Amino acid sequence: MPDAAAAARRVSSWRQFKAILRKDIVMELRTKEMLTSMSLYALLTLVVYQIALSQSGSGFDIRLIAAGLVWLAFVFTSMLGLNRSLVHEKDQGCLEALLLSPVDRPVIFFAKSIGNLIFLLIVEIITVPIFAVAFMSGRPIAGPFWMIVLSGLVGSIGIAGVGTFLATMAVNARGGSFILSVLFIPLMYPALLAAVAGTSAAVLGGPGYVDMFWRSVGMGAGIDAIMLLAVYGLYEFIVSA
Amino acid sequence: MTGDSSPALAVDVEGLVRAFGARKALDGVSLRLPAGAFLSIFGPNGAGKTTLLRVLTTLTNPSKGSVKVAGLDVVADAVELREKIGLISHNPLLYPDLSAEENLLFFSEMYGVEEPATRVRELLAAVELDHRRFDLVRTFSRGMLQRLSIARALLHRPEVLFLDEPYSGLDPHAADILDSLVAQVREQHTFVMVSHDLAKGLELCTHALILAKGRVVFFEPRENVDETAFAALYRSTVGLGVA
Amino acid sequence: MELRVDKKRLTFAAVIAGAVLTTVGFVLAFLVAPPVLADTTLASGGGAMIGGELIANPVLFSQKIFYFHVPVAITSFIIFFFTALYGLRFLMTKDKAFDTKARIATEVTLVFVVLTMITGDLWTRFEWGKWWVWEPRLTTYFIMMMLVIVYFVLRASIEDEERRAVYAAAFGILAFLDAPLSFLITRLVPSGNHPVVFKVGGGLDAIQVTTSVVALLGMLCLGYAIYQMRFREERAKERIEALKASLED
Repeated sequence: MPDAAAAARRVSSWRQFKAILRKDIVMELRTKEMLTSMSLYALLTLVVYQIALSQSGSGFDIRLIAAGLVWLAFVFTSMLGLNRSLVHEKDQGCLEALLLSPVDRPVIFFAKSIGNLIFLLIVEIITVPIFAVAFMSGRPIAGPFWMIVLSGLVGSIGIAGVGTFLATMAVNARGGSFILSVLFIPLMYPALLAAVAGTSAAVLGGPGYVDMFWRSVGMGAGIDAIMLLAVYGLYEFIVSA
Repeated sequence: MTGDSSPALAVDVEGLVRAFGARKALDGVSLRLPAGAFLSIFGPNGAGKTTLLRVLTTLTNPSKGSVKVAGLDVVADAVELREKIGLISHNPLLYPDLSAEENLLFFSEMYGVEEPATRVRELLAAVELDHRRFDLVRTFSRGMLQRLSIARALLHRPEVLFLDEPYSGLDPHAADILDSLVAQVREQHTFVMVSHDLAKGLELCTHALILAKGRVVFFEPRENVDETAFAALYRSTVGLGVA
Repeated sequence: MELRVDKKRLTFAAVIAGAVLTTVGFVLAFLVAPPVLADTTLASGGGAMIGGELIANPVLFSQKIFYFHVPVAITSFIIFFFTALYGLRFLMTKDKAFDTKARIATEVTLVFVVLTMITGDLWTRFEWGKWWVWEPRLTTYFIMMMLVIVYFVLRASIEDEERRAVYAAAFGILAFLDAPLSFLITRLVPSGNHPVVFKVGGGLDAIQVTTSVVALLGMLCLGYAIYQMRFREERAKERIEALKASLED
């Protein structure tokens, strides 16, 4: 084969990114494995919250802990989904097939992360209204709605990015999902705290809440940037190990 | 056939060492394989066959030595090289929740195959799976999976094809189909096959190699191989155990 | 060969220096350094207010533990830095020695983090009357302790030696980045319980500073010595393994 033809054939990373993302979405829409298990798990978490709060009495203002409860539900459901998404790749050695193709490793990372982010956001969109109806009736949130959305997005980006990285490690470890959770929670501590602080500011309001919101969301975005840059740099090593 | 000019060499390995700490999976492997050849690699479990294959297919980097496949360095030119090689493994490397056609289309995108739809149809016909192309791979039998995995490996018209125990788990009928498929594409490709099956490996190959404890024990063109002596040598390495 | 002898001597010197310096630090802390008074603006009557708690003892004798606690905490963080550094070196070279170094640095980090937690907690118990308070530094160290423990859990769960080394290196780097981030973010959430005994720019006199520095140097020497001794032990083990492997040939 002539060299010129070989050079011209070099695939664009964008095309590969789209292919991986589309494949993940098609597979998920077909099996609905991740979405159903994640949503179900999120709903069950709400049931557990009801049990936990059953003796708190009517005077208890749920808004004080609402942000924390919602993020807690996201953390646990996301771990379920993250694990699944990488198990798919591992099952029949498909990850190896991806690595054999002329793809830059970060493209795989970004495509998988974006896919996981989309699934996580879908579960969040299902869970939040149910949480609001079930626990927050008569106690409206103080801040504007876009604040909730923004803090949710910043936190979810961190969860999806770092989570995809850790899940790639966990599928190769003994006790995969357990390993994922023990790696994930301490490592995500700063990002989660920022997310809860941001969402909480928006829910609670009070004097200076706008300031507190931007400080939290700004910190959250900064933490996301640092951690994502680090996992982006390290992904090549762990995916080919 | 053993020309010195590097383009004529499909595989050119010089002093390859693959080690971690004191443990050496490959310990000074050198081999030169002309383009168009069929190399069969034999060796006991743990001899380093899989590691050698992983190095040749750019999945693992060598610790020492130079490794060129199709004239490209496996480390420096890894991305370009990946466009020129295909792997058929005992693992199908296919997504069970996608149909046969979707799987091939997906990998066409990954390799940037031109006119993917035509190419995919052509290959599905070649492996006699066009009647099942809308079916999920999950429903395929072992033999069908293996055929589809051959189609996947050929999508981007690779120059060098690697086969990792391709016959393991196949019934005689499926093995026959695999044989005929390999025969069909034999002309245009260089083959490197790792196998436990001595008879099959010798039947197909132009060059035979025995690996034991990460070292090349035997490497000769097929015509220099005396089958009885070769079998005896192979059996003697099996007792050597893990490198 | 000469280099190894030098390292041996250095380790020995570090043990002695560490022992002497930490002892001197203790003596200074208990016998010489004057106590730091709690923020006097909060003082009411005979006690002091810290974090909303009335401290009956105005001299706060228990603060002496800070001459131990702070150096240990700083040392643990410095050693943790080597986990990340050796992890990075490992990923760049794939030389197993760096993996061993990173692992041992993490082991030593664990020792010092646990000591930090214990000393910090003793202080909390006596000054605030509580065993545990979620305030920035305690929380940060708790998270750091979890990360260090998880580092070993991760190692234990991976069979393949090289993969284990790569994953551990990657996780070590992330964990090291995570510690200061945790600290920053916990400061953001209003708490303000932690005693600022060592204020920047004032509050401490020369003898108090000297005492802290002496104790810190002592701890660093001890950390280095423990690291070197563990490393030599591990290297010897690896050499024996290598010899065994070559004998099998």
